[in-house]
Amino acid sequence: MLTDDPQNHASKKANGAGNHAGARRQLWLYEGLVALGALLFVFPMVLILITAFKPDSEIVRFHGLLPRTTTLANFRAILGSPEEIPIVRWFGNSLFISSAATLLVLTVDSLAAYAFARLDLPGKKWVFGAVVATMMVPGQILLVPVYLILNRLGWLDTPTALIIPAGAGAFGVFLLHQFFISLPKELEEAAAIDGCSRWGIFWHILLPLSRPALATLGIFTFIGSWNDFLGPLVYLDSVDKYTLPVGIALFQTSYYAEYGLTLAASVLCTLPVIVAFLLFQRNIIQGIALSGIKD
Amino acid sequence: MTRSRLLRRWSGYLYALPYLTLFGMFIVLPLLYGLRLSLFRWEMLSRLQPRFAGLGNYAEAVRDPYFWKSLVATFKFVALAVPLTVCLALLIAVGLKSLPGRRQAFYRAAYFTPTILTISVAGILWRWFYNSEFGLFNAYLGRFGIKVPWLTDTHWAMISIVLMTLWWTVGGPMVVLLAGLQNIPPQYHEAAALDGATGWKSFRHITLPLLRPVLLFVVVINVIGAFQVFGQTFMITRGGPEMSTRSLVQYIYETAFNNYRMGYAAALSWLLFLVIAVFSLAQFRLMRER
Repeated sequence: MLTDDPQNHASKKANGAGNHAGARRQLWLYEGLVALGALLFVFPMVLILITAFKPDSEIVRFHGLLPRTTTLANFRAILGSPEEIPIVRWFGNSLFISSAATLLVLTVDSLAAYAFARLDLPGKKWVFGAVVATMMVPGQILLVPVYLILNRLGWLDTPTALIIPAGAGAFGVFLLHQFFISLPKELEEAAAIDGCSRWGIFWHILLPLSRPALATLGIFTFIGSWNDFLGPLVYLDSVDKYTLPVGIALFQTSYYAEYGLTLAASVLCTLPVIVAFLLFQRNIIQGIALSGIKD
Repeated sequence: MTRSRLLRRWSGYLYALPYLTLFGMFIVLPLLYGLRLSLFRWEMLSRLQPRFAGLGNYAEAVRDPYFWKSLVATFKFVALAVPLTVCLALLIAVGLKSLPGRRQAFYRAAYFTPTILTISVAGILWRWFYNSEFGLFNAYLGRFGIKVPWLTDTHWAMISIVLMTLWWTVGGPMVVLLAGLQNIPPQYHEAAALDGATGWKSFRHITLPLLRPVLLFVVVINVIGAFQVFGQTFMITRGGPEMSTRSLVQYIYETAFNNYRMGYAAALSWLLFLVIAVFSLAQFRLMRER
């Protein structure tokens, strides 16, 4: 009888609804704060885009966020003088170096990760342990010796100096290794019984299953190589061999006063990465999360 | 038969061979070569051959005021940037966790985007923000009669660099911490809520202890990264004013590639490595014990 008491029932319901409304209000508050912060984070990038379309006079004397006159002059100027500002060339260099480095990393890392994750190698634990341990070595301390090694190889001031050493990083091997060992072994065992070779298992079974992990590593490597600054700054010498980030940095020192040009160049440098990021952001973010959680 | 099996086991290394070759050439070899180099005097532009100097380069570093100055600047940066980055990342991650899937992914991407900018673009942008004459910050602050010497004052310059770094790098740790938060089974918080622990209490006594391994990872990675700060200071202040923001890596860079003192630069690199190693180990110890 007590449970059917209508008054009790009603008051309970009201109470529940009150809590619910409170929780919802709190959730809106959270979302409002999160959105405000997100706006602050994105704002500077939107600002580059807007300002790149302003004439220099409006940049130097700040009137407000939106341009009074919109102009393509900045873009025309940087694209129109390839002798002084070989930005198209830098773009091409960056594209070539990043693509080649990505291809190399995917190839050598997937092969090595397969060996470490699935093959019965003598002393595997030690070798893999040594490889993973170098992930803790700060990359900058290798700068000087790598420079001298590249010098001896005669690779300085060539794209090779940036492509080949990129394949030595341990991160990709680690990431793919973690992915490979998470795949069920039964498929491979069945294939082995059917007479599939080690190579066949790698090529026909493991690789197709690993597309998401390979995509993640590929995007990581591409963006990392595209944005690399210290490497090209040290290993490249001639202006026409520069990559975009170093080219733009140099550009900034010589066209210091012309912010419009610098910002337009920045837009051109950033657009491909932003597009790649938006297309693959799920992969990228999951990859980072994975590398942080699973060790 | 055993021989052929042994051969088969070893032949598996063929798969790892391309990678291991590169690993040997560009990681193991440079590590050892750098260590050896640090024991030699080698001015690359002079005609003198490299000559053995024992610990001479290290002794020089101890007496070198520029080394100490850059070390102090680097420590300052680490001490400011790491705690602020990790706290802000945690704050954003906690905020994001309360949101439903699709909107969470949207905001997460927004916070992460600055991270994918190359340092020259990010640096150019912030130099313009900080510019004292026509920079955005002073343009707005000027309306209230405030003018901040963002990059021209020795104290403000480091703060400006740290502020920009927060914006540029908080995305990575935020994503990792968010994943860590989502890995905590909700039962823990439900049980705590039944016992009356909600909000801050639940965060302090349930979330933080369970997040510790991930937090440790984030802190260590951030410390390693922060000790290697280069791009921000190089692009925004060039190490100035009065070398107050010249980091150790920038000093190494200048020693090696402006002055071509390869042996000394290698020794400075190893000192940096030592500092980073000590700090990483200490953090592992500290976090494990507690």
